[in-house]
Amino acid sequence: MSTTKNNIAIELTGISKRYEIHHEKPTLVEKFVKGRNESFWALKNINLTIKKGERVGIMGPNGSGKTTLLKIITGITNPTSGNVNTYGKVVSLIDLEAGFHPDLTGVQNIYLNAMFLGMAKKEIDRKLKAIIAFAGIRQFIDTPFFTYSQGMKLRLGFSVATHSNPDILLLDENFSVGDEKFGKKSRDVIKQFRKQKKTILIASHWKDFIKQNCKRIITLEEGRIINDTHC
Amino acid sequence: MTRTKTQQFLELLWGMTERELRARYKYTIFGFLWIVLNPLLQMLIIGFVFRFFMKEPVQNYYYFLFIGLLVWNFFSLSLSKATPSIIYERTLIKKAKFPCQIIPLAIIISNFIHLLVAITLLGLPILFLRTMVPGSIFYILTAFVLLFAFTAGICLLSSALNVRFRDVNLFVQAFIMFWFYATPIIYPLSIVPYQYYWLWRFNPMTSILQLLQHGFLNMPLPGVAMVSINSTIIAVTLIVGIITFRNESKNFDDWI
Repeated sequence: MSTTKNNIAIELTGISKRYEIHHEKPTLVEKFVKGRNESFWALKNINLTIKKGERVGIMGPNGSGKTTLLKIITGITNPTSGNVNTYGKVVSLIDLEAGFHPDLTGVQNIYLNAMFLGMAKKEIDRKLKAIIAFAGIRQFIDTPFFTYSQGMKLRLGFSVATHSNPDILLLDENFSVGDEKFGKKSRDVIKQFRKQKKTILIASHWKDFIKQNCKRIITLEEGRIINDTHC
Repeated sequence: MTRTKTQQFLELLWGMTERELRARYKYTIFGFLWIVLNPLLQMLIIGFVFRFFMKEPVQNYYYFLFIGLLVWNFFSLSLSKATPSIIYERTLIKKAKFPCQIIPLAIIISNFIHLLVAITLLGLPILFLRTMVPGSIFYILTAFVLLFAFTAGICLLSSALNVRFRDVNLFVQAFIMFWFYATPIIYPLSIVPYQYYWLWRFNPMTSILQLLQHGFLNMPLPGVAMVSINSTIIAVTLIVGIITFRNESKNFDDWI
């Protein structure tokens, strides 16, 4: 039993997620007058086991539950029912710019952001130079974050996230970071992660990208897994 | 390299607190000096006006006022900033899994550091009033512990509830105004007729202020009933705040 457990990176059993639909801003009065809100099931009874080192693509139309699934695996939100077990450090690249403070400098932001991704201060000290170099923002590292261009912000976010040494990496769609040059750099990182046998999940409807990078494709539709193929 | 959950929590908490401290006085000319300037101005204005209303003048009224205002500023600023804090930090919550408690707690701690600095600076002249004895420190520390516990409890509660019910923030803003006058800050509790004391027993800030006024200025201590009822409310608030936050935080992401 324990040996099989060691091979597993992500284990989902009976995961369902219900969202309450709020048409208007919810208020206390509304809550008490109308009682329960309408609800909507984003995921319905998902059972999924992903082994260590697997590269899984999650496909499906908009609103099929891809992002919700990633959020539940990361632990950003909790399922309404079911169990999530993850083995190893999970980092998701759902929102790269998140967690940066506009008034703080690049360095200060790197420390803060990296801490949120579970890095220890000493670890950040060691990797600081590499993070800055990878993002290519050495010149601006002491200027406040609000002066950064959109591309610089994304690059810094990506750099911090990939340097946090995740065991399981979750990528959401719109994963096109920065310009051509940086796009190549980031694809190289994904390749390197592949070599290091890290578990990678990619949610996207960009079929070619998934086929290129993934060995297993899961298709979601209306919150259910309708297809799970190894290729 | 194994780090316990607690270590990680503390590191993150301190990181956020530093951020609060750094970001607050960025691009200001007076910077840190605002800690002292702000209450000083308030003290002068309120002190001047209220002298006309006080039937019996309070000894060392300006000092009395300054202690009350500093403590109140800490409390009201923490509460009004912490209540909507989860919503303001929505991008963080959508980014990674981390103990969200650090968001309101970092605000409280950064304000608390401000309070301690300001009290030390402006409190130095109090030493020359000869109202303090070595034992005073006991009352002052007790008051600070109660103050921190109460602020933390109520901020955890309000920030967690505000995610689903945005009314909480508006209610808090309105209530803080009223609460200021319901707390012995600009007046000593002794001007309140005894038959109304029970009203103040529901306001935990009463004991906290009375303990500080006793500690610094040797004013009368709060009564036993006052301290015990106030402390009970503080303990209950803290527990309810922690539990509510824990339950609500599971689904913050769904609401922001």
